[in-house]
Amino acid sequence: MDSEDEFDMHDANGDDDDDNDDDFYSGGDDDAAAAMDSDEADVADYEFIDNDSDDSDDIASHRYQQNYTVLTEADIHQRQEEDIMRISTVLSISEVAASVLLRHYNWSVSKVHDEWFADEEKVRKVVGLLEKPAFASPNVRELICGICFEAYPLDRMYTAACGHPFCSTCWTGYISTAINDGPGCLMLRCPDPSCTAAVGQDMISRLASAEDKQKYSRYFIRSYVEDNRKTKWCPAPGCEYAVDFIVGSGSYDVTCRCSYSFCWNCTEEAHRPVDCGTVAKWILKNSAESENMNWILANSKPCPKCKRPIEKNQGCMHITCTPPCKFEFCWLCLGAWSDHGERTGGFYACNRYETAKQEGVYDEAEKRREMAKNSLERYTHYYERWATNQSSRQKALADLQQMQTVALEKLSDIQCQPESQLKFITEAWLQIVECRRVLKWTYAYGYYLPEHEQAKRVFFEYLQGEAESGLERLHQCAEKELQVYLNAEGPSKDFNEFRTKLAGLTSVTRNYFENLVRALENGLSDVDSHGATCSRAASSKSLGGTSSKGRGGRGKATTSRSSSSSRNIDDSGHWSCEHCTFANVKTATVCQMCHQRR
Amino acid sequence: MQASRARLFKEYKEVQREKVADPDIQLACDDTNIFKWTALIKGPSETPYEGGVFQLAFAVPEQYPLQPPQVRFLTKIFHPNVHFKTGEICLDILKNAWSPAWTLQSVCRAIIALMAHPEPDSPLNCDSGNLLRSGDIRGFHSMARMYTRLAAMPKKG
Repeated sequence: MDSEDEFDMHDANGDDDDDNDDDFYSGGDDDAAAAMDSDEADVADYEFIDNDSDDSDDIASHRYQQNYTVLTEADIHQRQEEDIMRISTVLSISEVAASVLLRHYNWSVSKVHDEWFADEEKVRKVVGLLEKPAFASPNVRELICGICFEAYPLDRMYTAACGHPFCSTCWTGYISTAINDGPGCLMLRCPDPSCTAAVGQDMISRLASAEDKQKYSRYFIRSYVEDNRKTKWCPAPGCEYAVDFIVGSGSYDVTCRCSYSFCWNCTEEAHRPVDCGTVAKWILKNSAESENMNWILANSKPCPKCKRPIEKNQGCMHITCTPPCKFEFCWLCLGAWSDHGERTGGFYACNRYETAKQEGVYDEAEKRREMAKNSLERYTHYYERWATNQSSRQKALADLQQMQTVALEKLSDIQCQPESQLKFITEAWLQIVECRRVLKWTYAYGYYLPEHEQAKRVFFEYLQGEAESGLERLHQCAEKELQVYLNAEGPSKDFNEFRTKLAGLTSVTRNYFENLVRALENGLSDVDSHGATCSRAASSKSLGGTSSKGRGGRGKATTSRSSSSSRNIDDSGHWSCEHCTFANVKTATVCQMCHQRR
Repeated sequence: MQASRARLFKEYKEVQREKVADPDIQLACDDTNIFKWTALIKGPSETPYEGGVFQLAFAVPEQYPLQPPQVRFLTKIFHPNVHFKTGEICLDILKNAWSPAWTLQSVCRAIIALMAHPEPDSPLNCDSGNLLRSGDIRGFHSMARMYTRLAAMPKKG
């Protein structure tokens, strides 16, 4: 086991103990124990999170090794300037020419170098950087403008590097039309139809109106982000940051400074441990079936006991009906909460589709499972849990907001604790938000996990169940137990115990989820698909250990692809193309109809 | 508005002066509206349009010459890049490749060039485009020739 390697990957703080990597579960417990041992450990634990920035929004992004940078508009501008300067110096050309060149080669400095030094003349021709004027002005006092055909004195005529003369009014109109047509204005050429000379920023700043200049520089800066292969805008509405990503450096999940987490590769919201392809499939499926889902999943459920409709307005799944009923039940399976204990073989055992079914005659359950296999019912099961975690996450985000703006201050007053000592609550909520996100995507993962890989399924559902119960414990503690201290008259004696408990739960949960994500990204690779069930403890140990092998986007993509294609092979040995449904012979790797790869 | 009018007036005077310079093109401005023009162009030689005279209608926008004029054939023509019913023309310089240095005269020249060199890969008239794309040059020629005779040539006798 390569513990060094793994350690670097998932945990940027080097001060933890190495035991973490050996055990899927105890890593978390150790951490918790450390946190409970002394307040110092507690503080140290939080320090690493904050050492790069005081902004608590950044916590999530610092947990992994940074392979990306969040850029403000000023940063973008600065980088753009630096690149332009570099090209300008190395190629001994003007900055305007350098920016035209860079824009043409999508802001890739190395590409500009390669092309330029390979064939400068060709590049100049393609890009429109002329070395000498193509049109020599006759030695006269007046020239005819090529657009309005009026004669003007020389001092009212302007030309690009080519020398074709146009009057300032026509230039302004020409540039303005181009700018209002969109970002194509960055590639503007001389108005003469036979001329390819580039019209650079110098001409724009000399001849365009103030409003147009502003638009132009907006396009200019946008182009640096949008045409550059390393940067993308944060897709969150209203967010103006961009993210610069080191391509090929592992996990695509990034967290913008606006606190929105997204996948840099597909710009959907962050979806580890599921790969982009699966996410796209899942989203497509959801939109295709959303009509059905709308009525299947009404926003309310009847209380299983008194049948009054209940709208879920708090984050966790433990629902208590209002008096006089007061029935406590699980929102997901509508079973009594009292049944969700150790007795059911797990604190929270309703994540398993099969066991979610009512207990009944064996045959009947079997029949239902058979029926469910390819039916909406199966999809509904996963979608419902996916969607519930989604809304739970939204709720948790709102709660976090509320916590930060109102509750923390109040709590600080009541418990006589400085707000800086209450950071553990914010962190617990950030962790909840993150966990809800991961948990949500594990349901898409589960949906696409092949049915026939029974051992993997069992193990996956076990891990998911554990994750769910751990998160419920944390959510419950951060939501309900906190209320006691919020409603207290004065400082509570056991507040420090609460702190230790919540901080401990946060860190246990964090570790568990990080391990879970890595295990799923590896495609649960250490479960031998035929070697059935080894003991849970043993397999979970080895899981933690081997997860350093094939991590990152590639590995997981292969897994899911192989699984989906194997499902698409029918009995006759044909496989049906995912894109056009054409039934191809088994030996073909490319669809014969649409030429998409299998 | 003023700029486009001034520019069109220049073109008008140029047309008056050069009337004989290009015998294939006869541009004329509407008597009451300088933004409406018509042109008569001769079908290029060694094409199925040879001997035909085709009428074009120009609608010039107020932003002219920064925006291109709208041109369509008034005479029926069988050509891959001309809409058979409306006479609309698919030509890059009339869309995104427009340059304000083009004139109505040069647009006419470009349309004549398009008649001699059709672009069957971006057809507005699919029947015509398909004939050329499938290599049926003879079929295309006879169709184009027939419509030239029917629509673009003065009736004999």
